[in-house]
Amino acid sequence: MIRKLLVATSLASLCLVSNAVAQETINMWVRTGIGTAFTSLADAYNASHENQIALTEVPFAELVQKYATAIAGGQAPDALSLDLIYTPAFAAAGQLQDLTDWAKGLDYFESLSPSHVALGTYEDKVYGLPLLVETSVLAWNKGLYEQAGLDPEKAPANWDEVEANAEAIRALGGDNYGFYFSGGSCGGCMIFTFTPLVWASGVDILSEDGQTATLDTPQMRAAVDKYRSMVEKDLVPEGSATDNGVNFLSFTNGKIGHQSLGAFAIGTLVNDYPDIDFGVTLIPGIEGGTSSFAGGDNIVVTKDTPRLAAVQEFIEFAYSPEGQKILAQNGSLPTRSDIAAQTLEGLDARLQVAVDAIGVAKTPYTLLFNDLINSANGPWATFTNAAIYGDDVDGAFATAQSEMQSIIDNAP
Amino acid sequence: MSMTIATPLAAADKPRRRARKSRQWQGLLYIAPAIILVTIFFVIPVLFTVWMSFHNWPLLGQPSWIGLDNYIRMFSDTRFAAALSFTAYYTVIATIAIFALAFPLALFVQNERRGVSAYRTIFFLPVVVGLATASLLWVWLANVDSGLFSPILRAFGVTGRSANLLATFNNAFATIIVMVVWKIVGFTMIILLTGLQSIPSDLIEAARIDGASRWQRFRFLTLPLMRRTLALALILSVTGSVLAFDQFYIMTSGGPQNRMISVVYYIFNQSFVSFQLGYGSALSIVLLGILVALSVVQLWLLRVGDEK
Amino acid sequence: MSAAIKQARARRKFFGGMGFHGFGVLASFFFLAPFFWAGLSSLRPGSQSQTPPLPPWPTNGISFDSYATLDTFGSGVWQHTFNSLLVSLSTVVLTVIVSLLAGYGFSRYRFPFKNVFFVLIIATLMIPFQSILTPLFIILAKLGLNNSLVGLILVYVTLQLPFSVFMMRNAFDAVPREIEEAARIDGARDLKLLVRVLLPLVMPGVATVAIFAFLNAWNEFLAALILLSDNDKYTLPVLMTAVRAGRLGAINWGAVQAGVMVMTIPCLVIFLLLQRYYMRGLMAGAVK
Repeated sequence: MIRKLLVATSLASLCLVSNAVAQETINMWVRTGIGTAFTSLADAYNASHENQIALTEVPFAELVQKYATAIAGGQAPDALSLDLIYTPAFAAAGQLQDLTDWAKGLDYFESLSPSHVALGTYEDKVYGLPLLVETSVLAWNKGLYEQAGLDPEKAPANWDEVEANAEAIRALGGDNYGFYFSGGSCGGCMIFTFTPLVWASGVDILSEDGQTATLDTPQMRAAVDKYRSMVEKDLVPEGSATDNGVNFLSFTNGKIGHQSLGAFAIGTLVNDYPDIDFGVTLIPGIEGGTSSFAGGDNIVVTKDTPRLAAVQEFIEFAYSPEGQKILAQNGSLPTRSDIAAQTLEGLDARLQVAVDAIGVAKTPYTLLFNDLINSANGPWATFTNAAIYGDDVDGAFATAQSEMQSIIDNAP
Repeated sequence: MSMTIATPLAAADKPRRRARKSRQWQGLLYIAPAIILVTIFFVIPVLFTVWMSFHNWPLLGQPSWIGLDNYIRMFSDTRFAAALSFTAYYTVIATIAIFALAFPLALFVQNERRGVSAYRTIFFLPVVVGLATASLLWVWLANVDSGLFSPILRAFGVTGRSANLLATFNNAFATIIVMVVWKIVGFTMIILLTGLQSIPSDLIEAARIDGASRWQRFRFLTLPLMRRTLALALILSVTGSVLAFDQFYIMTSGGPQNRMISVVYYIFNQSFVSFQLGYGSALSIVLLGILVALSVVQLWLLRVGDEK
Repeated sequence: MSAAIKQARARRKFFGGMGFHGFGVLASFFFLAPFFWAGLSSLRPGSQSQTPPLPPWPTNGISFDSYATLDTFGSGVWQHTFNSLLVSLSTVVLTVIVSLLAGYGFSRYRFPFKNVFFVLIIATLMIPFQSILTPLFIILAKLGLNNSLVGLILVYVTLQLPFSVFMMRNAFDAVPREIEEAARIDGARDLKLLVRVLLPLVMPGVATVAIFAFLNAWNEFLAALILLSDNDKYTLPVLMTAVRAGRLGAINWGAVQAGVMVMTIPCLVIFLLLQRYYMRGLMAGAVK
C-alpha cells in the first residue's frame, strides 16, 4: 500500500515537474461514445511524455458542428479524432493540415490501414491518418443459444439462420429477444451494420462516382424484408424503433440473441461485461457472402497549428508497439498491419474476426456523407426507419431515392 | 407586442417642456447599456444574417454572392414546405390544447378560497423548469424499456405488449403535446387569471341579477373584457409554438420518419448539420417575417386597439 | 325550517368543496407526479436504474448510485453546477442593472427615436436566436470572448432584455410621478433618486426580472453548447446532452433522472421562495 502511495506521489510530482517544464499542451477533441481506446492512449502518453494532451470529450452528435463553428471562430483544437468519413469534407474545405511529406516519411506508412488513408487523402494529399480502426461484425450471445437449445459454438451462416435462431431465443419468453438494431433513424448505426447485407452482393446505395443514388435494388428490398419479418415476429425489442443510436450497445444487457456491432464493442464487452459469453462472425450478405464497414477515426490536425511537432510526436506514439497495444486492449484494431500479429498477441481471440473483416470491408467515400447518410434527418436515416418500421415500403424507397438524388444534385 | 402598450407619456404641459429638453439626453444615457448590448449581440448578428442570406455561405471555405437564389430555392424546397406545415399543425393543436386547459384552470383558481394559492403554485411549478429538462424528463417517462407509461398502459390493458409511445407519429405527437401542456399551461393560466381579475365583479353581479346565464355572462361579458389579456396570451403561445425546437430535438430527434421537423429545427439542420449558412439565414429571415405577420394578424383579429 | 336550509346549504357547500378539491388534487397530481417520479427513481440503486419505475421509490434502501454516475460525465457535476450558477447569477445581476436603467429611461424621459429604440429591444423576442448563433459566434471571437463564460453571460443578458426592459418600464410607469417630484424637491437626483427612492417601489418588478433571468440562463443549452468548447466550462445543460448521448452505446437512465433533479431543484426552490414577487410581477406585467 505504502509502496503504491509512493509510486503515486512520485508519479504525481513527476507530472508536476513535467508540467512545469512542459513544452506544449496539445488541445485535442474526441467524440463520446467510441469507447475508451483514445482516452487510454492519451493517458498513457501524458504519463510518459513532456508534452501534455488536454482532452475534451464532445458529444458525438455535435462534434462536426462544434468543430466547424470553432474553426469559423478561430478557436479550433490542435487536433482531433474525427470520424473518418468526415475527413474528405473537412479536407476539401481547406481546414486541415497537409501531412503528406511527414506521413510518407514514416517507415510504416505503407502498412497503415488502407481505407483510413484513402479517406484521409484528398486530391493526392494526406490530411488524415488512421487512429482508431473498427469493423462491423455480427455478435451472438452464446448463453442464450445454450438456453434455447442451439449449438452455442456454431455461428449463424446466413440470415435465415439468424432469424430461425432469433425465434428460438424469443421463445424463451420474458425480456429475451432474438435480434437488435438501432432502428430509430440512426443513419450512422445502419450504414455500419445494415449495408453490409447488400455490399456482400456487390451492390451499393451510391454509384461508384457517388453521383447517383442506387438505393432501390432487389438486394436492398430483400434485406429490408428480412428485417421487417424479424420485427413483425416480435423478435426485436420495441425500443429499437426509436433508438437513434444511444442504445447502440443493447447487446450488453445480455438479453439480445444477435446484434451487428463493431470492434470497439468487443473491447467494451470483454472489459466491462465479462459475464456475457458471446461469439462474433462476419456479417452475412442477404444473398450469401460476407461484408463489413471499415470505420473508426482519423486523426486530423487543424491547419497552421503552432503545435504540429507535438501532435506528430503523439501520432508516432500511437503507432508505436506500445501505443498499438493500448489501443487494441480497448477494442481498436491494429492500425499497422506490419505489427498486427504482435499487437494482438495475448488479446481476446474474437478481435481477430474483426481484423479479418478488414479484408471484405467497404467505406463510402463522399463529401456528402453527413447530409446523405449520417444526419438523423437525412434520407438514409429516414429510409431505414420508414422501410423497416413504416407501413409503406415502396413509398420509403421512392422518397429516399429521390431525396438522396436531389441532395447530390444540389450540392454546392 | 410593443403595440399592446401605447406609451403612456403624460402630456407634458408647456412650461415644463424646456426644462425637460435639457434632460432629454440623460434618457439616452440610461438606455445606453441596453442599446449597446442589443446592438452588438442582436442587431449586428441579424444584419449579418441578412447579408449571409444573399450568399452561398458554407461554414468552412469562401462565401460567394448569389443574390436572391436562396429565397427562390425555398419555393421548390419540399422539406421546408413540410416543416412549415408541421409547424402550423403543431402550433394550432398546441395552442388549442393549452387554452382548452388553461381557461378552466384559470376559472378554477380565480376565487379566493382555501387552498387556491397552493393550487396556483402547483400548477405553475413545471413552468419554471427548462423545456430541455422537461423534454429529458418526459422522454424517460415515455421510454419503452425504462419508462413509466409503457408498463402502466400495459397494466391497464390498453396495449397488449410494451408500447413504444415515441415510435409512431400520432402517439409521439400526443406525448409531446401532453408534455408541452404540462410545462406551459400554468403560465397561460396565470396570464388569463390576471385578465379575469381585472373584470369588476359588480359588473358580473349585475349581469347575473339581470338573468344572464353562466354561459352568457362568460360569452358576452368575460371574453370581450379579456381581449387584451387574450391577445397577449395568444401571441406568447403562438410565438412559442412557432419557435418550438427543444422538444422535437430531444424527444424524437425529429422522427418518427422525419415527420416532426419544425421550422426552427429545419433551420438548425440547414445551418449546423448541412452547414449551408446562407440558406439557413434566408430561412431565418422568412421565419421572422412570418412571426411579425402572425402577431399583426392576431392583434388585428382581437382588435386590441379599439378598447383604449 | 331555517335549520334545514342551513343544513342543505352546508351540505351543498361540503359537496361543492369536495368537487373543488377533488379536481384540485387530481390536477395537482398531474403537475407534480413527474417530479416525484423522477426524484424518487433517481434514488434507486444503479442495478435498477434501467427498469421501469414501478414502484418509483427505492425498494432496498436509498442509493446515490445515479448521482455518482452523473458525476463521472464531463468534469464532474460540481464543476458544471458551479459554472451554471456563476453564469446564471451573473446574468441576473447584469440583467437587473441594465433593465432597471433602461426601464427608468423609457418611462421617465423623452428623447429622439425613443419608440424606435423600444421596438428594437422588444423585437429581439421575434427572432429565433438559434438562427443568429453563427454570427454571434464570429462576433464573440472578434471580441476575444468566445469559449468564455463572460461571452455567454453577455449573450444571455441580451436575450433577457426585451422581457426585462418591458417589465421594468411598466413597473416605473406604475409609480406615481408625485413621489419622484417630492423626492426631487428633497434633493435626490438621478441615480441616487433611482436607487434610494424608486428601487424599493419597483422591487416586485426587479424580482420578476431576476427570477426570469436566472431560470432562462440556468436552463439554456443550445447557445452554451455552441459557444463553449472546453469541458471545464460546460454548463449543466451541456453536460446533460453528453448524458443523453449515452456512453459506450447505452443511455444511463439513472444518470438522466439524477441530472433532471440537479437541473430542476434549484429552479423549484428559487420559485417557491420568491413566488410572491414573481407572480405579482408577472401579473402586473400582463395587465399592462
